[in-house]
Amino acid sequence: MDFSFTPEQEKFRQDIREFLRREVTEELIQEAELGSLIGMGPAMRAFYKKLGEKKWVCPSLPKEYGGLGATHVERLILDEEIAYHRAIPPMMVGSQVVAPTLVIYGNEELKQEFLPRIARGEIEFALGYTEPNAGSDLANLSIRADEKDDCFVINGAKTFNTGCHFADYVWLAARTDFASPKHRGISLFIVDLKTPGISLNPLYTMDSERTNEVFYDDVKVPKKYLVGEKNKGFYHMATALAFERNFPVGFLRRNYEDLMEYVKETGKNTDPLARQKLAQLKIELEIAWSFSYQVALLADSEIVPEWQAPMVKIFGTELMWHMACAGLEILGLYGQLQQGSKWAPLYGRFEYLYRYTRRRMISAGTNEVLRNIIALRGLSLPRG
Amino acid sequence: MDLSLSEEQEMLRKIARDFFHNEFPKDRVREMEEDEIGYSPELWRKMANLGWMGLPIPQEYGGMGNSFLDFTILLEEFGRALIPSPLVPTMVYCTIPITKFGTEAQKEYFLPKIAAGELTMTLALTEPSATFEPWGVKVKAMPDGEDYVINGVKLFIPDAHVADWIICVARSREELEDEKEGISLFLVPGKTPGISCTLLKTIASDKQYEVTFENARVPKENILGELGRGWPIVEDLMQYAAVSQCALMLGGAQEVLDMTVSYAKERVQFDRPIGSFQAIQHKCANMLTDVAGIRSITYMAAWKLSKGLPAAMEVSMAKAWCNEAYRRVCAEGHQVHGGVGLIRVHDMQLYYRRAKVAELAMGDADFHREKVAQELGL
Repeated sequence: MDFSFTPEQEKFRQDIREFLRREVTEELIQEAELGSLIGMGPAMRAFYKKLGEKKWVCPSLPKEYGGLGATHVERLILDEEIAYHRAIPPMMVGSQVVAPTLVIYGNEELKQEFLPRIARGEIEFALGYTEPNAGSDLANLSIRADEKDDCFVINGAKTFNTGCHFADYVWLAARTDFASPKHRGISLFIVDLKTPGISLNPLYTMDSERTNEVFYDDVKVPKKYLVGEKNKGFYHMATALAFERNFPVGFLRRNYEDLMEYVKETGKNTDPLARQKLAQLKIELEIAWSFSYQVALLADSEIVPEWQAPMVKIFGTELMWHMACAGLEILGLYGQLQQGSKWAPLYGRFEYLYRYTRRRMISAGTNEVLRNIIALRGLSLPRG
Repeated sequence: MDLSLSEEQEMLRKIARDFFHNEFPKDRVREMEEDEIGYSPELWRKMANLGWMGLPIPQEYGGMGNSFLDFTILLEEFGRALIPSPLVPTMVYCTIPITKFGTEAQKEYFLPKIAAGELTMTLALTEPSATFEPWGVKVKAMPDGEDYVINGVKLFIPDAHVADWIICVARSREELEDEKEGISLFLVPGKTPGISCTLLKTIASDKQYEVTFENARVPKENILGELGRGWPIVEDLMQYAAVSQCALMLGGAQEVLDMTVSYAKERVQFDRPIGSFQAIQHKCANMLTDVAGIRSITYMAAWKLSKGLPAAMEVSMAKAWCNEAYRRVCAEGHQVHGGVGLIRVHDMQLYYRRAKVAELAMGDADFHREKVAQELGL
């Protein structure tokens, strides 16, 4: 047992920190915080390009496709630091979803077309999964892709597809077989968002995000943009991402440090209730941190963290909720003030966290669906 | 970074688990609640024969020279099996401070005997003040010729009735401005005239005592560490002691989880195993998450202590978390078990009652969160 990092890992973290200290500006942070509204602003675009030059956009990719062949622990270190420095790019679907799936299931042509550009930070993807009647029950999706000549023709509607208004491509799950059981009729496509027939309707959320309803009306997708095998899309999605799910705590650690500083500066550090709350958050933060490295270490040993990854997501988002609650309790009446008010403490970040957390406990698998997975996979409890 | 156990550690775990399972089934645990001695000297001897009493003791004093982390693994299995015994008071509360702060003569006297399983010991720290802060130490030890004379009442002292030796934390100088000053540790034979023990009636029916010192005399060479500078030793041993309690809780929590999940798979209601209901599944998933948290933070603290790294923060984080997480695990375990978990012949209630004792031993969650706050510089 050894809770310490290797000298190489420490150096990797140090290099990233130095880079981020140099490159992360106030302007970049502001753009990052408006991410889902505007996509990439000029500062983020420049930053993303530099990340790409370092091969840090998608470090896990094999070297021949423009990555570093980095381990999961290394990627976690990188993700943790970027989040800590509040420089999270608006969408990371390309590096986190598309790239690992293409590596396993894409043909060489698709790999060559997309992977190097993803690695360089030149293109961005949006996720096209959720539909009005396919949320937690994703296999219930009904948007159709019919084969016609050398194309698939897409018709139907998606919802909560964030980033479609600024991404270059959408990573789309659509039904290609209506006769088979629902898991067995889904295929994956890469769709250029400029293709005629795609229209958007924005949805604005309480945490100041923009997401979209996306309508597909006879959208023609060349057959070569089918990913992997036809009708195997649902399984491709699950398998390719089995090693990819994790929850870096960098963003929470930064918020926590800000709160600590605020408490010390305002003299609230003598309040026994505040001390208890902050100590409890610290404890949960360390457990979440440790869980995230356990997941990465499992993945590096080629063990699918099938219940450990859901566990860190639940634990991490609930910690986020505890942090938002404790933070606003400590801030008292000021806690309700939003960024932009001259009275808002900590730039209103905890007020934002209180709204944002609700989404994080629902997106990427509701915490309830994830508990089902833990019960079934982690504890082998019987299916209902 | 490597969060797994070594092959030897896995082996130790397996041997310990099988040993406790075979040697001390739960009916014996239940019996011991009514037993006057409250533990099995026979089991103690067998454990000594396996070398376990010497595990954390250096080889030059007859021990095995293993790390505290290795011992944590043994404790985890000990907690899983709920073995009632003076193991933790002897091996952690007393052995560790003797090893770290004892004179050569003290080490040569105590450690080989402990390693051989010939001695049991306990620590008399807490008092009716019921705090782990230095101000709580009111028992006095006043010099008288070549001796010190101890007077006062110690409370919540584990296994005092069978302790061959007691480390008594007492105030050897009065009314100093700094409460941490003037506290000394005395190695006192359990049978010293003037010492009397009264069993406390506790939630777990375990063996905790009120220990009264009435003009109990100890020679001055029985001081452990420096005269008047005993509190730092207490603070140091409390770190190991708190992590030991975490390890016991970890084993207990794992067992509660295992038995709850098994029950959820077997118990049929509404024509299906109750474990197929999401209401039950989510409880089980929460329990697994809590147990994983207990494991993670306990081993982080144990690893730091083993490496000799500063661990005050990790220890307090671990104890605060384990206290509440184990309580939650037991509560959810009971809820899944329904009525059957409540009856005396069922194991569930054994864990629930003992969880409270472990939670209170060596500092509750509020106490340790306050320590974390201090470590954070608040």
